[in-house]
Amino acid sequence: MTERPWWIAAGTAGWGAIVLWKAAELPQFDQYAGIGPGMFPTIVGAVLVLLGLLLALQIHRGVRFEEQEAEDVAEDHSVSYGALVIAAVACALPMLTMKPLGFVVTCTGCFVLVAAAFKSRSHLLNAVIGLCFSLICWWLFRKLGVQLGGLLPIAGV
Amino acid sequence: MDPVSGLLHGFSVALQPQNLMWAFVGTFMGTAIGVLPGIGPALTIALLLPVTVYIEPTAAFIMFAGIFYGAMYGGSTTSILLNTPGESGSMMTALEGNRMARKGRGAAALCTAAIGSFVAGTIGTLLLTFLAPPIAELAFYFKPPDYFALMLLAFLSVSVVMGTSKVRGFISLFIGLSLGVIGIDKAGGMQRLTFGVPDLMDGVELTVVLVSLFAIGETLYVASRFGMQKPNLNPLAGGIWMTREDWKRSWKPWLRGTAFGFPIGALPAGGAEIPTFLSYTVERKLTSHPEEFGHGAIEGVAGPEAANNAAAAGVLVPLLTLGLPTSATAAILLAAFQNYGLQPGPNLFINSGDLVWGLIASLYVGNLMLLILNLPRAGVWVRLLFIPRPYLYAGILIFSLVGIWGVSNSWVDLAMMFGVGCLGYMMRVYDFPIAPVLIGLILGPMAEQQLRRALQAQQGDPMALVSTPLSATLMVIAALIVIVPAALHWRRTRKIVEPADAE
Repeated sequence: MTERPWWIAAGTAGWGAIVLWKAAELPQFDQYAGIGPGMFPTIVGAVLVLLGLLLALQIHRGVRFEEQEAEDVAEDHSVSYGALVIAAVACALPMLTMKPLGFVVTCTGCFVLVAAAFKSRSHLLNAVIGLCFSLICWWLFRKLGVQLGGLLPIAGV
Repeated sequence: MDPVSGLLHGFSVALQPQNLMWAFVGTFMGTAIGVLPGIGPALTIALLLPVTVYIEPTAAFIMFAGIFYGAMYGGSTTSILLNTPGESGSMMTALEGNRMARKGRGAAALCTAAIGSFVAGTIGTLLLTFLAPPIAELAFYFKPPDYFALMLLAFLSVSVVMGTSKVRGFISLFIGLSLGVIGIDKAGGMQRLTFGVPDLMDGVELTVVLVSLFAIGETLYVASRFGMQKPNLNPLAGGIWMTREDWKRSWKPWLRGTAFGFPIGALPAGGAEIPTFLSYTVERKLTSHPEEFGHGAIEGVAGPEAANNAAAAGVLVPLLTLGLPTSATAAILLAAFQNYGLQPGPNLFINSGDLVWGLIASLYVGNLMLLILNLPRAGVWVRLLFIPRPYLYAGILIFSLVGIWGVSNSWVDLAMMFGVGCLGYMMRVYDFPIAPVLIGLILGPMAEQQLRRALQAQQGDPMALVSTPLSATLMVIAALIVIVPAALHWRRTRKIVEPADAE
């Protein structure tokens, strides 16, 4: 059976609609240039809606979606949704912890989670490696002039 | 400045000990990331962008150039020894190169790849040296309609050429364009699509989008489909270097590969895939040993490798002379220029002669360094592949956080990292090309600016867009890029359908 991911078409057209809606609030024309600040977004939004409809048409006709090749990917492309969720949590974690707990703690957490998503089971060891690695990164990039915030902002350090 | 004196001046910049060190750091890192999966030159340069605050522009670009060239050497090493092409441009090398390695001729394959890359890289850089200044000179006469037509051409060709489906290519492009619109409008100072979020007023950072699409998307994708095959290292078995016959069979493919790679790389949306593929096909036709193809023919390694490196030099021509990026890596290089407040284009050659010529000279230096770094040590580099994958990908995420959090310590950037990362995952699963998003994001605002300037000059008359001969020509080519493949496709599907109807 061919997969029919209607939601992609809907998402594309939906985002296009949002762009169109926001662009409509801006002036479309300008006295001198002909086109105002709203015109370009309007065009982009309209084309996105159109492309969403075209994709829907393709999906209706049963177009095939082949997954892209990548290294370290299982040959049969079998999907482990558990690992996907853990990895996604790792990527979402900074939104929660970066401000209060700082770069080092956040990165240690991310490190352990990603390692777990890649089926590493020695969480404690990973935490230690992650902590060392994050500390080195934090210290090194600070030296190089990159602003990464305090060591532990919640404690005022 | 004429090319020769410019180049001599460039060498005086590039050969300063400090800059030599940066070139070494760049080529070293470039080779490493070329070998490692999940991380490519565009991503590495994006992650290093925050560091540019600390390093002066010339040094930074010398390092970036080393990364750019180095990644291709690293990619060929893994495709030959392990059949895992690190970059898309090395796919063709893997075909014959890995067969050669299995027959115990790995050393010869590595050798022809490295020397071929060196020859092509050097010829490509020479062409760049002598072609870039006149093109930059020419670009002085470009008017807004010409720039707009050129960018339109880049948009269309990027979306049509990359990926398997045009609709999906265009969706990628327009997602990029829509992200580019976010922020304060440069001409009128009005907020566009900021949804009232102050952090979005400055627009969406290319770094954030690029890192999220590549690193986060890749991590999610590989994590969910992880299936590690133990690296199957082909021993270098005594190491028979290139024989006299190998040399004889290699030098022509090197030159032909360069001839394919450089011009195609210089075109908008050229990239490295098409010239390497072309080179492979042509070598297969021209060879006097057709029976060896598919079983490890040296021509099949020499040609595509040369094409790959020549294309990399070609990509720099439109980037440096017109400010037109034609690949993901070129897009991030353009962003790096903008970080320093520099605008690639004709004025760059005049205002920042030190930088441009230092960069070009360092390409020669870097090429030589790469040859020395790679030729005797290829087996050592491959050891990098034995890094445990959990740590590799966890490390990539931490570097991504350095890159994203370091830009402006903004929570919105972290949210975008997650959102765009999920988008990157989805694009991999449903086969959407990624580069058009980046090209759209960085070229979109520039194209809009040129469009408005062009219209302003003619009081909003749309005919202004085709008012110069060049812009009219480019517009016609742009239209053909879309129409011709569509027409061909339509004819083909009709032919297939008709006999079915006749039954």
